[in-house]
Amino acid sequence: MRRRKFLALMGAAGVGLALGKTPAHAASNAHFEGYPDAKAVLFDATRCIGCRKCEEACNKVNKLPAPAKPFTDLTVLDTERRTSAKAHTVVNKYMPAGAKGPVFRKIQCNHCQEPACASACFVRAFKKNPDGSVTYDASVCVGCRYCIMACPFNVPTYEYDEPLTPRVMKCTMCHPQITAGELNMPGCVGACPKEALAYGKRSDLLKIAHARIATFPDRYVDHVYGEREMGGTNWLYLSGVPFKELGMREDLGVTSAPEMTSGALTVVPMVAALWPALLGGIWAISKSNEKTADKERMEAVKAAIDSNQAANDAKLAKFKEQAEKDKADSIEREVKKALEEAAAAAKEEEGA
Amino acid sequence: MKARPLLRWAGILCVFAAVSVYCIEARGSGEPKAPAAEQADIILIDDMSAYGKLELPPVAFAHDKHTDALKKAGKDCTACHKQENGKLVLKFMRVADGDAQAMKTVYHDNCIGCHAQTAAKGQKTGPQDGQCRSCHNPKAAAGKQLDMGFTNVLHFRHAESKDIASPTGDKDNCGRCHHEYDKAAKKTVWAKGKEGTCRYCHLDKPVKDAALGVEVKSFRQAAHNDCVTCHQTMEQKKQASGPVLCKGCHGAEGQKAIRANDKKALEKVGELPRMKRGQPDAAVIAVNVDKAQAASGAKVYAMRPVPFDHKAHEQANDTCRSCHHKSLDSCTKCHTVQGTKESDFVTLETAMHGMASSRSCLGCHQTKQADPKCAGCHTSADKTRKASTESCRKCHAEPVQGLPALDPAALSGMKIADEKPLAEPYLTGRKMEAQIYALDDIPDKVTIKVLADEYEPSELPHRKIVMTLLKNMKDDKLAGYFHSDMGAVCQGCHHNSPASKTPPSCASCHAKPFSPNEPGRPGLKAAYHDQCMGCHKAMKLEKPVATDCTNGCHKPRKK
Repeated sequence: MRRRKFLALMGAAGVGLALGKTPAHAASNAHFEGYPDAKAVLFDATRCIGCRKCEEACNKVNKLPAPAKPFTDLTVLDTERRTSAKAHTVVNKYMPAGAKGPVFRKIQCNHCQEPACASACFVRAFKKNPDGSVTYDASVCVGCRYCIMACPFNVPTYEYDEPLTPRVMKCTMCHPQITAGELNMPGCVGACPKEALAYGKRSDLLKIAHARIATFPDRYVDHVYGEREMGGTNWLYLSGVPFKELGMREDLGVTSAPEMTSGALTVVPMVAALWPALLGGIWAISKSNEKTADKERMEAVKAAIDSNQAANDAKLAKFKEQAEKDKADSIEREVKKALEEAAAAAKEEEGA
Repeated sequence: MKARPLLRWAGILCVFAAVSVYCIEARGSGEPKAPAAEQADIILIDDMSAYGKLELPPVAFAHDKHTDALKKAGKDCTACHKQENGKLVLKFMRVADGDAQAMKTVYHDNCIGCHAQTAAKGQKTGPQDGQCRSCHNPKAAAGKQLDMGFTNVLHFRHAESKDIASPTGDKDNCGRCHHEYDKAAKKTVWAKGKEGTCRYCHLDKPVKDAALGVEVKSFRQAAHNDCVTCHQTMEQKKQASGPVLCKGCHGAEGQKAIRANDKKALEKVGELPRMKRGQPDAAVIAVNVDKAQAASGAKVYAMRPVPFDHKAHEQANDTCRSCHHKSLDSCTKCHTVQGTKESDFVTLETAMHGMASSRSCLGCHQTKQADPKCAGCHTSADKTRKASTESCRKCHAEPVQGLPALDPAALSGMKIADEKPLAEPYLTGRKMEAQIYALDDIPDKVTIKVLADEYEPSELPHRKIVMTLLKNMKDDKLAGYFHSDMGAVCQGCHHNSPASKTPPSCASCHAKPFSPNEPGRPGLKAAYHDQCMGCHKAMKLEKPVATDCTNGCHKPRKK
């Protein structure tokens, strides 16, 4: 078999597997709907006043370096920012058309129920904890930064200025501090003067969010962002203006990142497992093909040789016969000649 | 020999350039160069779309520009509009629509014809034959025509005008505009005492009335036909008149001028006189009760009737249509307890209390709460909450010793004029001013020490706030009446507990945030910030800025 043909065969097999229905997901065989008692945070954009107290609290709780401009300086809000290795959360100001004034939105890790970062990480540095948080283990990280590429919300950041031990940095939902008993809710939530952030069980917060919409239908967009986006997140959002206006992606769909890649990815171990057998089989087939061909050739040669032999023998026999006949003829001729000569000599002698 | 081809190329280029310039000019938009969206007179002529897909884009037509130009040329409306029964037909150069080809011909022949004639005279004019895209411009859009409401003041100005004589010689002008169709006489006649607003009969689209055997004009047709034609004839007679140009009624400037004249007219008379339509000063709104059932001695279960101050509501609203949306009959005629076909099965309860409609009592009162003076307390209030018993009683009158009894059975079918003596004693007995406790009982300053670990205690100017709220309600009958119970004003902040001179402190309900037992209740810190900031924002109070902690309510903590 030629190499090109082989590769085409393999490709077809892979596509067939990927296209087939795969109930198995990357992480497990069951559809994961989130840990039942997972905590979450509900952000309500209609309550946020853009005071940056959450940013300040996050900085303090996570012992991050002091920023260039103090947290009381609200001119920072005039430029749109994103999270960085030194700021796990930032608040941005938006001026949506039709809104009465500025609307603020807090950015941080959304703690997906099925995190894309975790599914992209091949050393399992990311972990979805039963408390809803997604945390990172720097000790196993190899620094490939696939997680940064995978995140649909552009959240994880990298310590590029750390030459020896750079880490991926992002919000932890204060998982370490809460586990250690230092805090009873994430630092940002506790600092919010308006309860624009609420911390509690995800299932409870969803009820609260929908209750707020039902109570003030003209104040809210009838949608809880994060309830289903990317398979659901543990950071939920309410807003009075379309989420698009707050720089939030509305094109993400409701399927989690691992679910989307599971079909193709399930093929990977299968291909790895099947390769020896497949290659062996192909080798065996080609080998046996070769063998048969050899045998056939030998037989053909033999047959050819055999049939030639017979013909030659016949020819030889004919030649022999001819030769013998010639020989006999020549002997006869010679005998005759000798007899004639003898007769002539006798005649001469008689004559003489 | 060598220069010849160069010359030829130069010639070709010149011709090409000339053709290009001409074509670009032809494609360029001639008319709507000004900010078209702002102009009230730009209408989109898309009549042809009724005949199928348009071959070319609809035409944006500047009506006022043409009116002005024709006036200067000594022509009037008949240059473009035919007349029928002495009134202008609103359609262009025709009485009725023909087929597609005929329509196209009407527009092309008359528009281009007139432009050509004007051009022949050497005057400035519009696009000519061949300049298709100058009119059929794909970028063309209609201007913005503001709705023109005929308010009570404007009605008064027309009703009192000496220039508008009634056709029957009556002392009132009503018959000049108000009419109904007389089938026998085959014309519109004035039905005295049966006047209603135009929109009751003239709907959004023309409607064939089978009973009358005529097509009832759309509101748009009726209003332009009657208003503009009348204004125009008045103007021709050199009399004071209303607007004849589009922008006069539908442009921002024109409307401003009308309001200014309204104001002048009001200043002259002091208080706006009421309309002369025989409407009641006061009425009683009651559930219709089955008379036979009541007479049989069976107990009648119905909400207590509502004494209604019709006169006060007339003055507080711009038009009768604010409440009377279908006819000037009483609400209970169509809106019965169960609803009727005429009411689209909107029940009496919904008609009076529905929050979704600005015509219902509560719906309209709610829109008044959007006023920044009121919004501080009223926007934060949960609108889905059941109204309290006290607030029901504000309208559904409790029986009062010595006043006539309001019996639903007796009121059913009663003449509206007979309801006045029943309603008036209740209305005159109402307290119409907001009440507060004695000044000494209202704390002057309230010190809040909740954030004492970060800041010095905050001082809330409590009495100043109460007095400001009270001042805001002065001279407002609606606000006055609904805050006339002692403690009602206080409940804007001291909510969810009974009105009292000594309401419980905020901390007695608001403690820990996100208590699983009370998931919707904010913690104390958020409760304070929400209440103060929410109110300041809704009342459009600029200072203090919500994010300016230490210059606003909190002082930095002394070390």
